[in-house]
Amino acid sequence: MTPVQQALLILLLPLASAAFIALFLRRAGGLASAISVAACAGLAALSLALVFGGERNFPASWEWLRLGGFSLSLGFKFDDLAALMLAIVAVVGLCVHVFSLGYMHDDGAKARYFGGLSVFMFSMLGIVFADNLFMMFIFWELVGFSSYLLINHYCEKQSAADAAKKAFIVNRVGDFGFLLGIVMCYWLNGTVNLTELAAHHVYTTWVPLLLFCGAVGKSAQLPLHVWLPDAMEGPTPVSALIHAATMVAAGIYMLCRIEPLMTPQALTVIMWTGTATALYAALCAITQRDIKKVLAYSTLSQLGYMVAAFGLGSLLSEQGEHRMLVAAGVGAAMFHLTTHAFFKALMFLGSGSVIYGCHHEQDIFKMGGLKSKMPLTFAAFTIGVLAIIGMPYIAAGFFSKDAILHLALEKNTAVFAILAFTAVLTSFYMVRLWILVFLGTPRSDEASHAHEGGLTMKLPLILLAVLSVLGGYTALYGHTFDGVWSLIPHAEGATILVISLGVMIAGGGTALMLYKPAGSDALEQKAPGLFGVLVALKESFDAVYNYYVAKIQQRFAILLNFLEQVALAGLIIRGFSGLVGLFGIGARALHVGSLHAYVYWFLIGVVVLWAYAAGVF
Amino acid sequence: MPRGFSDFVMNFHFDPLLLAIATPLAVAVAIMLGLPKRHSIRLAYVGFGVPALIALWCWANFPADAGVKYAFFNRYSTGLDGLGITLALGLNGISMPLFVLAGLVGLAAGLYAIQSTAERLKIYLMLLLIMQAGLMGVFASVDVFFFYFFHELALIPTFIMVGIWGGRDRNYAAMKMTIYLTVGAMLSLIGLIAIYVKSGASGQTFDLIMLREALAADPIGVTTQKHIFGLLMFGFGILVSLWPFHTWAPLGYGAAPSSAAMLHAGVLKKFGLYGLIQIALPLLPEGAKHWAHLLALLALGNVLVVGLITIAQRDLKQMLGYSSVMHMGYAFLGIASFSVLGVGGVVLLMVAHGLSVALLFLLATSVQQRAQTLDMTQMGGLASKTPVLAAFFAAATLASIGLPGFANFWGELTIFVALWHYSAWMTVAAVAGVVISAVYGLRSVASVFFGPPTAALEEVTAAHPVTDLSWREKIPALILLTALLVVGFWPKSISTPLDSTLGASFRMLDAPRLSAGR
Repeated sequence: MTPVQQALLILLLPLASAAFIALFLRRAGGLASAISVAACAGLAALSLALVFGGERNFPASWEWLRLGGFSLSLGFKFDDLAALMLAIVAVVGLCVHVFSLGYMHDDGAKARYFGGLSVFMFSMLGIVFADNLFMMFIFWELVGFSSYLLINHYCEKQSAADAAKKAFIVNRVGDFGFLLGIVMCYWLNGTVNLTELAAHHVYTTWVPLLLFCGAVGKSAQLPLHVWLPDAMEGPTPVSALIHAATMVAAGIYMLCRIEPLMTPQALTVIMWTGTATALYAALCAITQRDIKKVLAYSTLSQLGYMVAAFGLGSLLSEQGEHRMLVAAGVGAAMFHLTTHAFFKALMFLGSGSVIYGCHHEQDIFKMGGLKSKMPLTFAAFTIGVLAIIGMPYIAAGFFSKDAILHLALEKNTAVFAILAFTAVLTSFYMVRLWILVFLGTPRSDEASHAHEGGLTMKLPLILLAVLSVLGGYTALYGHTFDGVWSLIPHAEGATILVISLGVMIAGGGTALMLYKPAGSDALEQKAPGLFGVLVALKESFDAVYNYYVAKIQQRFAILLNFLEQVALAGLIIRGFSGLVGLFGIGARALHVGSLHAYVYWFLIGVVVLWAYAAGVF
Repeated sequence: MPRGFSDFVMNFHFDPLLLAIATPLAVAVAIMLGLPKRHSIRLAYVGFGVPALIALWCWANFPADAGVKYAFFNRYSTGLDGLGITLALGLNGISMPLFVLAGLVGLAAGLYAIQSTAERLKIYLMLLLIMQAGLMGVFASVDVFFFYFFHELALIPTFIMVGIWGGRDRNYAAMKMTIYLTVGAMLSLIGLIAIYVKSGASGQTFDLIMLREALAADPIGVTTQKHIFGLLMFGFGILVSLWPFHTWAPLGYGAAPSSAAMLHAGVLKKFGLYGLIQIALPLLPEGAKHWAHLLALLALGNVLVVGLITIAQRDLKQMLGYSSVMHMGYAFLGIASFSVLGVGGVVLLMVAHGLSVALLFLLATSVQQRAQTLDMTQMGGLASKTPVLAAFFAAATLASIGLPGFANFWGELTIFVALWHYSAWMTVAAVAGVVISAVYGLRSVASVFFGPPTAALEEVTAAHPVTDLSWREKIPALILLTALLVVGFWPKSISTPLDSTLGASFRMLDAPRLSAGR
């Protein structure tokens, strides 16, 4: 099998699975889940073989549409960056598929769910392989659709239906800019092929900024972040795969793809957007009661980290005589994307295990004591927490977070300060979550009857836990991803290590002191003012958007509709018909019954016609 | 060479296009002559099926490099050869996709009508068959006279069907539709006759091929072009619901019986756009450039103003009617961009929109039969009772809001790309429409199908137990959905012949201009 055929097979396997399920297996949930998981296992095996087989940059492009001078093609750009992303999507995808076998076992619409997962894998792989921006946009929209489908899984719930709609529409707002950016890029450069753009392109800030709008939507950056917390209405494995590990990271992947187009101005905007999101989301996470919402805000915050890392840009590297620019932002962002994919998928699946064990209780103040009830989940989740708060050398998050902090310290002190403070908050809310869920004694019936899931739910947790520990040691990957790993900035000396240790201890220690496994929020009791401010901060965006939708957009639409009905349909059109009526009355007046009058009219008519024929007017 | 009737009988050979027009017409005549109902329905399957099969056959056998030449071409004498009127049938890269559209939507509308519970079903089917014959004829005609004739043949049954089988406000709707569409048709007729009159050099003709050659050699004067294009633009524009001449459309579609709405919104409405592309642009290029800006501004009215109005709708069919008006804005924008890419995008969008809007009207009727209302605020949670209907409706909505994988995406995308070259700010405004359509599209799906059922709906479903889509409803829906997906996944199936024809005809336009300029 040539690499091209292999890549094609990887892309088409999940599509075939989805089509087959949609056509024939609507009522056969068990078979549908088996086929979907088998397809995912197949594509994961093929993907890893392709990634570690070492084949890169094989030419593959097919013209899909041609009109006039415009040609749109679908093709593969498979470099180390794509290989890394492919490996992540394949491994996390497989874990989530297997986990879903247990988690969704009793679901009534299992076929739709697994069909949706297959559609998602197809669309996400399309983004990974895309060799041009139009192709990326096509699959970009398709992941949006699969996200819509899966958030909407419990569609009889109003909140799920609303969340799905919101996710799609908010993403469309981002894609509005993305599409304009692609079209502008096409007309400026005559191509949207990523390789050709990297080699030669017109220098402008508009294109990267417009393209960044797409990432703002998909990766849920301020101010379009509002859809992601709501998207937690979907089944938990979906949150792990789509809304934590892969799809939301597609924005960062896309930015890394178009890195050559960046200008300093664009990078500055991107850096501050990411930094603001990281801080804002971390503040919001502190007050959440729902285990998935805490993780959702934490995802937002970590995505902000990655975007900020990308925006920090290049570093001047000095190796002896040679001085060269290294795209350190790409390296740091992709590194963090990798480790985050592992540990956040781990924590989401862990929370899925908790929710499943607690009979769909999601309020962390009604949990507690799960340490002894669900030891494996506890161990796995603890590794996830250690990874996200950056426990040195033990867990993966430490390395990638340090790379970002180091880069920030080199490039921009203000960003560094904010990101470091965000890290304090991260340790704080993560340790809070960990204490409330696992320590103490059960605080509800659901929690006291908690139990571990089956083997299909345990295996993915174990695999992801291992990856969350080892994933940070880049040497373990061999030379497979050197194209990306060589860009990671490395701190020299102990400054960053000390800072990050201090940050972790400050945040985690405060949480350890403040929170006891209890049924109410300690922060709310001790500092109600601060708590209120944080809650208001979280709700401010939704309040503004809701106001806009209900009070401005809807009213404007109703006003236009009113004008349409009254002014256009009523007055003007009926006015015209009145005019015609008047004309009729006038015409009747001409028919006076006198032969002379008719003869005159006839003559006038002849003159007018003659004048027209002669070309008078 | 024109061939006489005896000639035709003597040297009979298979003419698929004539057969596609004649079959539904013959079936309609047979029904009119008093065929019993049972046989009428059987024959109606033939009347709707044959054109669809022929259309698919033409699609499969269409030459990839046709250029401006017509495939499956035949010319029949009408006895009016002296006036330059012959029945010339043929398909080029622009008309072939629309011919296929007419065939497929016709079949779906026919099948849906046959299973419906319409009173006086025989007459209903007869009118639909006449409409179907007209539609096939519009896109197969190479002669402008017959192009117009077949449009009228299809239009008149529409009025009758709205007036007799229509829903709420059917009399007012039928009257308003008739007035608007007649005025539009009259204006465009004046424009077409003006072209005929001005085609003069080598004898006047309605034949599009000869018109093209004559006017390429000896173009109509620029001032006259401006006048004629203006007539055609507003005439055809009214027929396609150009803002602000669109108010007939939502009202008419809201009242029309489902199959008539499918055929009119899906196919017949495209007549105006087709006329602009096939006749007005190549024959009156200077006129088109003169009016392009105004056309684009009015089209933005379609996209933005009507788009927002769509958001405010509560009646499902009115909403679909407005959304269909909105999408016509993109088509006008593509025409205004005056390029192979933009105009090609319009044809792609016409096919895609025709299929998706027909599917939506079909499904809306199925929803109405189950919920006993069209008021979206009175529905909700239908998905739990009718998951297949919900899936079809969601798919059709996602298609109409331009999700990749469905044909509509290609039309919108190519129009946006082409439009940027014409005007960047207009592109910004047009792409904003994509957000608007997502808002009303997903909102309607959610309010009809998702969430908990409303009390009103619970009452209705308790009285009339709800069943999911039957196969007799599913098959027409599947025909349309499959076509949307085929073009969505394989746009080349349409774009290759389109590119060949449009490329050649735009090159013909460019050639004299370049020589004149240098």
